[in-house]
Amino acid sequence: MKQFWIVLKFELSNYFKNKSFLIGTFLLSAILSGAIIVPTFFMKHSKFSDDSGQHTMTVAVEDKTGVISDRNSFAELLPNYQLQFMESEDAVKDAVETEKVNKGFLIKGVNQYICVLKNSTISSEGQDPFEKLLLQNYRLTELAREGINVADVEKVYAQPMQSETIILGKDRANTYWYTYVLIFILHFLIVFYGQMIAISVTTEKNNRAIEILATTVNSNSLIFGKVLAGAIGGIIQAGIILSSAFISYYKFSDAWGHRLDFLFHVPVAVWIAFLVFGLLGYILFDFLFGMIGALVSKTEDIGRHSSIVMMIHMASFFIALYGLANPDTMLVKVASFIPFTSSKVMLLRVSMGTVKLWEIIISGGMLLGTCILMGVLVAQIFRFSMLIYGNPISLVTAIKKIREK
Amino acid sequence: MKLEIKDLHKQFGEVEVLHGISFCVESGKALGLLGRNGAGKTTIIRIIMDMFKPNSGQVLLDGQSAWRQKVHIGYLPEERGLYPKKKVNEQIVYLACLKGMKVADAKREMCYWLSRLNVSEYANRKLSTLSKGNQQKVQLAQTLVGQPDVILLDEPFSGLDPCNSEILKNIISELIAQGKLVIFSSHQMNYVEEFCEDIVIVNQGQIVLYGNLKKIKKDFGRDRLVLSLKDRDGEETVKILQEQFRELMSVLEEQKEQTILQLKPDICKKQLISALVEADLDIESFGNYEPSLNDIFLENVGV
Repeated sequence: MKQFWIVLKFELSNYFKNKSFLIGTFLLSAILSGAIIVPTFFMKHSKFSDDSGQHTMTVAVEDKTGVISDRNSFAELLPNYQLQFMESEDAVKDAVETEKVNKGFLIKGVNQYICVLKNSTISSEGQDPFEKLLLQNYRLTELAREGINVADVEKVYAQPMQSETIILGKDRANTYWYTYVLIFILHFLIVFYGQMIAISVTTEKNNRAIEILATTVNSNSLIFGKVLAGAIGGIIQAGIILSSAFISYYKFSDAWGHRLDFLFHVPVAVWIAFLVFGLLGYILFDFLFGMIGALVSKTEDIGRHSSIVMMIHMASFFIALYGLANPDTMLVKVASFIPFTSSKVMLLRVSMGTVKLWEIIISGGMLLGTCILMGVLVAQIFRFSMLIYGNPISLVTAIKKIREK
Repeated sequence: MKLEIKDLHKQFGEVEVLHGISFCVESGKALGLLGRNGAGKTTIIRIIMDMFKPNSGQVLLDGQSAWRQKVHIGYLPEERGLYPKKKVNEQIVYLACLKGMKVADAKREMCYWLSRLNVSEYANRKLSTLSKGNQQKVQLAQTLVGQPDVILLDEPFSGLDPCNSEILKNIISELIAQGKLVIFSSHQMNYVEEFCEDIVIVNQGQIVLYGNLKKIKKDFGRDRLVLSLKDRDGEETVKILQEQFRELMSVLEEQKEQTILQLKPDICKKQLISALVEADLDIESFGNYEPSLNDIFLENVGV
């Protein structure tokens, strides 16, 4: 056990003294914090925003037909629009083209207009407030012409529907984003650190340090120390980066108007699921990558031989992404019990689906058991393969040799 | 202490690489483990180090099989390997701690050995920035930290210049004098001759020669003689010997100054010298042949 701690400490110091680890942690923390803090300055000081925080848009209008009879009243009804009435269609197009205005409207009749945009975007789709007001203007004009009391009609139309939604299960609209982010964090942890762990194991064979280590250290202590050091390194790095984002948001959440609460307000149950299932799954994949590192002798062989592990990981990732939209389907339920997929899928079921406690306990137990078995298997493979240099050893051959012994 | 290697057999797949290897070595002595490339030397060392398990046979220290946890072992592998990106002092202390040493003791011993090997100034440098010879010395320092009782050196002189070889020779001599048990594998026969009291020559997984080096040399040279005749070069000497004394001896090697002879069975030196005198040959020198280890090695493993 003492040797395990020595290996763990040494390997962790390798990570913490590694410049790319330190720079990466600092940069990612700074970028995330910056992404949260910097926009708040623009929100406070932007000339394009009003008190409510909504953007004011400059809009050019050409109304040869005279549909808008009272331009001032019309403009007052669009507080977020700064209307500029122009005399010709070309003037509107020119203003849009030169970006003097954000968009333009060419009114062709009481119920007909053309919207002029420089470039269309996803946000330019949907009904524009200008159109709503134009339609309202048309209805009022027509009702008045028919002699109907406009105030009575408006009263009928203005009557709101009293409604309330009671969510018996999960509020998936709110849980979606943080679940999505947590699954992505797990994905990146596994991909980045899995590869690093495989490289760390292979490098020891590649530089022949294993010749000395094999004579002084128990192979179990060595492989567990190396894999768990990589796992802890990843957890610490991810923890620092995430903490910087959370602290930044909590400090500046008022400035954001609490608009990112859907990302940062993660319930305790989901955190626990993330810590238990996420970390166990992460360690399980770390062992798999450690096994790949033990089977090859050159770092350049890792990419080719880790493809099967990557495929298993990607399959679990895609099932989790599918589960985000369908958290209670049979596929998701089954995947939440398979150790290689349960880390992400059970996390999403806890966060977004309906799951019973016994399901969580059984799935967690299976994941933990698989982690331990995988650790033992990897240690045996490492013991068998650590002094075999040259061509990579296939997993089947390694298992066959271990069984022969 | 007495290290006994008893009837080791080792198979890799279908190939048997060791066929019953047995020898022993005691404290205060060095044993030279010799053999051609692929003869099985490294496999023997790895079995002694418990890196490989033998299919059968035992490695005993003072009659005990579970000895590796009780004594410090210093191992310099043939496949040199440390961490190129780590500082010299960090990795030596790390490996010493894995052997069970305390950090303070490991640092103290590391300083001593780095100083003895003239590489103290590199303690804070990354290994990859050192020359091959200095890397080799760092590896030696790592081997010797921990005051090992059993020392296995696989090609310790490779990569060292004559000055550094001299430093290492002195260190190894000291270790033997201190009563350490040293197993020394090398292709540089002069070093083996210098340190090793006993030798084992392995060929194709079998011991072809084992014993005290002095005795082996004596036995090897027992029926061999060196002869030079006055005013005759080697070629003439060989011609005379082959024409006149064929039934008494055979010529092994013709050298510029002297000729090496092998006496025929049942012929003694006295008979040959009497025959030479009777033939009225003017003998410049006549004596026992002292073979080098290289000769013994080549004779036993073939060219």
